[in-house]
Amino acid sequence: MTSENIIVRPLEEEMKTSYLDYSMSVIVGRALPDVRDGLKPVHRRILYAMKEMGLHHNKPHRKSARVVGEVLGKFHPHGDTAVYDALVRMAQTFSMRYPLIDGHGNFGSIDGDAPAAMRYTEVRLSKISEELLKDLDKDTVDWRDNFDGTLKEPVVLPSLIPNLLLNGSSGIAVGMATDIPPHNLNEVVDAIIATIENPDISIDEIFAKYIKGPDFPTGV
Amino acid sequence: MTEEYNVDKIKVLEGLEAVRKRPAMYIGSTDEKGLHHLVEEVIDNSVDEALAGYCDRIEVTINEDGSITVDDNGRGIPVDVHKDYGISGVEVVMTKLHAGGKFDKGAYKVAGGLHGVGVSVVNALSKWLEVEVRRNGKIYKQRYERGKPITPLEIVGEAKDTGTKVTFYPDDEIFGGKTFDYHILKKRLQEIAFLNKGLKIRLVDKRTGKEDAFYYEGGIIEFVKYINKNKNPLHDVIYFEGEKDGVHVEVALQYTDGYAENVFTFVNNIHTKEGGTHLSGFKSALTRVLNEYGRKNVFKNNEALEGEDVREGLTAIISCKVPNPQFEGQTKTKLGNSEVKGIVETIMYEKLSTYLEENPSVARKIIERALQAAKAREAARKARELVRRKSYLESTSLPGKLADCTSNEPEKCELFIVEGDSAGGSAKQGRDRRYQAILPLKGKILNVEKASFDKILENDEIRAIISSIGTGIGDDFDIRKANYHKIIIMTDADVDGAHIRTLLLTFFFRYMRPLIENGYVYIAQPPLYRIKKGGKEYYAYSDEEMKRIAGDGTTIQRYKGLGEMNPEQLWETTMNPAKRILKKVEIEDAIEADELFTILMGKNVEERRKFIREHAKEVVNLDV
Repeated sequence: MTSENIIVRPLEEEMKTSYLDYSMSVIVGRALPDVRDGLKPVHRRILYAMKEMGLHHNKPHRKSARVVGEVLGKFHPHGDTAVYDALVRMAQTFSMRYPLIDGHGNFGSIDGDAPAAMRYTEVRLSKISEELLKDLDKDTVDWRDNFDGTLKEPVVLPSLIPNLLLNGSSGIAVGMATDIPPHNLNEVVDAIIATIENPDISIDEIFAKYIKGPDFPTGV
Repeated sequence: MTEEYNVDKIKVLEGLEAVRKRPAMYIGSTDEKGLHHLVEEVIDNSVDEALAGYCDRIEVTINEDGSITVDDNGRGIPVDVHKDYGISGVEVVMTKLHAGGKFDKGAYKVAGGLHGVGVSVVNALSKWLEVEVRRNGKIYKQRYERGKPITPLEIVGEAKDTGTKVTFYPDDEIFGGKTFDYHILKKRLQEIAFLNKGLKIRLVDKRTGKEDAFYYEGGIIEFVKYINKNKNPLHDVIYFEGEKDGVHVEVALQYTDGYAENVFTFVNNIHTKEGGTHLSGFKSALTRVLNEYGRKNVFKNNEALEGEDVREGLTAIISCKVPNPQFEGQTKTKLGNSEVKGIVETIMYEKLSTYLEENPSVARKIIERALQAAKAREAARKARELVRRKSYLESTSLPGKLADCTSNEPEKCELFIVEGDSAGGSAKQGRDRRYQAILPLKGKILNVEKASFDKILENDEIRAIISSIGTGIGDDFDIRKANYHKIIIMTDADVDGAHIRTLLLTFFFRYMRPLIENGYVYIAQPPLYRIKKGGKEYYAYSDEEMKRIAGDGTTIQRYKGLGEMNPEQLWETTMNPAKRILKKVEIEDAIEADELFTILMGKNVEERRKFIREHAKEVVNLDV
């Protein structure tokens, strides 16, 4: 016991380092979406795993539990409820303006009814998600190691459509938070075309002519 | 030079030779602390001139060659020949132990310097030292090497003002080539500037071009504002000073809407970390004054405020100038002069009573704040009693989740606080059950920085920690009752583990600080990776280590949670005292730590965001 290996660690340093690790990880890697594909890591991993499983919009539905297991085992080493909750939300027509997942079974209701357990519900990618994932295998994005270095995962999805604007996003990180409303696909595409034709177009002009306001899934 | 003179000189060298032989006896240690103590010893002389009213400017320069210069505009060390020694005053100060104006009340009424050994010690421990005195319209200069004068005191020019400039290079033989740290000097100089209002201090680092200047017209008033800059104060800083029997007392205080108590005391510019008689005088006067005022003007029933009620959310600086301070305690930072208690108490009582009478609206705010604290204390007491009663019912005084060890010797016992039952299971099966106890926590514990005392005591996880450790909490804390002398935080090696660590440290810092101060709090170092290479297994504790070991034909397992490890693996890598690495948590600077906890864990989101933005680049482990 005498030859114990003890390093002195100043409290101030430990607090600073640990807190920065935590807060920065929550900010960049957990609670806030990437501006390019509008996804948080958990959502991106679900979509990518489903693509790898071949759960395309024109293939049959599969059990949610299989997707959750795939995501947990390969890319997202956290709790299973966190993954299933994220999966469910992407399938809820009242939560997403353009649902990224096509669900079969009870996915809950706007009144707060809980969805069925993951052993009951079934899922596949929705048609619009194919646009997010399109050309992923054509060297369009950067890749990184998964948690144990045995697989690669995309840093961001190619995103042919501006998902952040379409579906919006909200999240509370540390010291900062985000809340972006969803918008209408036709309006956003018109605005993109207008911007291509006139790169100097002002935000005010876009709002006045093309995107008049948010477009919520519930129709309000 | 006469025969007599040389003989004397030999004796002097013997005196300084003793310093070189046992430097730690004179400057505490020869580590970084000791090195910076040299600078303080020189600065002390300048501050003494400032205290006596002859100096208002000190300049400290770290030179490119690693030497350091302290220049002041005091009166300059006397250059005339000392009648007992037959050498100049400068040489006496530089070569005789305990020489200088501060050792006789004639020149200075009070003087700083914790050890009071004088600048001769600095001279003895320097490879070389040059002193320049500006006095009588002349510049005098002398050079020493390892304490021995190399040149006589010579006139080298004309001086327009007066002052003393000392440049020295610490001896590598003693300090092993350690260099001056800008940050350490900056903090100390800022503190000195706060404590001596009107004193202008400049610090320049020629190695890097960094520069800071400190000048506080308001003195300790600005010190309090500085500490409270991230908190929400309830009123303007209250300040008063007084003098009695040669002891000068300055107090600045301000209440905030936070819960922590931040009272810092100084005697002759020395931070008395362990408190002492001046602190107890301050405390008893504060409690008395607020109770008297409350009874006369605010209380409706028979309320009574206790010490902890009136100190909740209080930030205060007490700075005393004491002619002959006696320091006690483990680190010699506790004031022992018994007469000071009465003096501080009297001054504080008179001045604070007057202030409250003259500022009834502030007085009401303070009293109502203290009454709220008293209410919370009452609620907390009830909650605490509940903890005790409940534990009696469970027939053992320890919480059910705790897997205790069998030994009854706290010195040998260790408590592992682990995250979640998954890890708890691994730890429980892997431990040495004679000396190692395991307490699994459920998820993230309460952030005590944002909760009141009674809410904290209602929290199950916190209660389990308190009753496992056994020392009690807050004012009831008694280190002798600790069931374990090592409290080891063992969280997962991921960012949530890091978060739980910060939450636990916040709790220990705010409510069980002596646990950290006595060196009982540790952090376990679990490995991040297991690497299999040709039938052999290696563990890596950092990404660099992993990359070094890994190669072709290796399989790497990244540990996300301690529960992923077999019990034997956890024992081998993290818990076995013969093999593990432990990080011992130490408070370097209580003021800085307090500020950090306020920013990181407190209520002010804006400050937190600012902090994260400023330090975002320093992040070590980014986990996505």
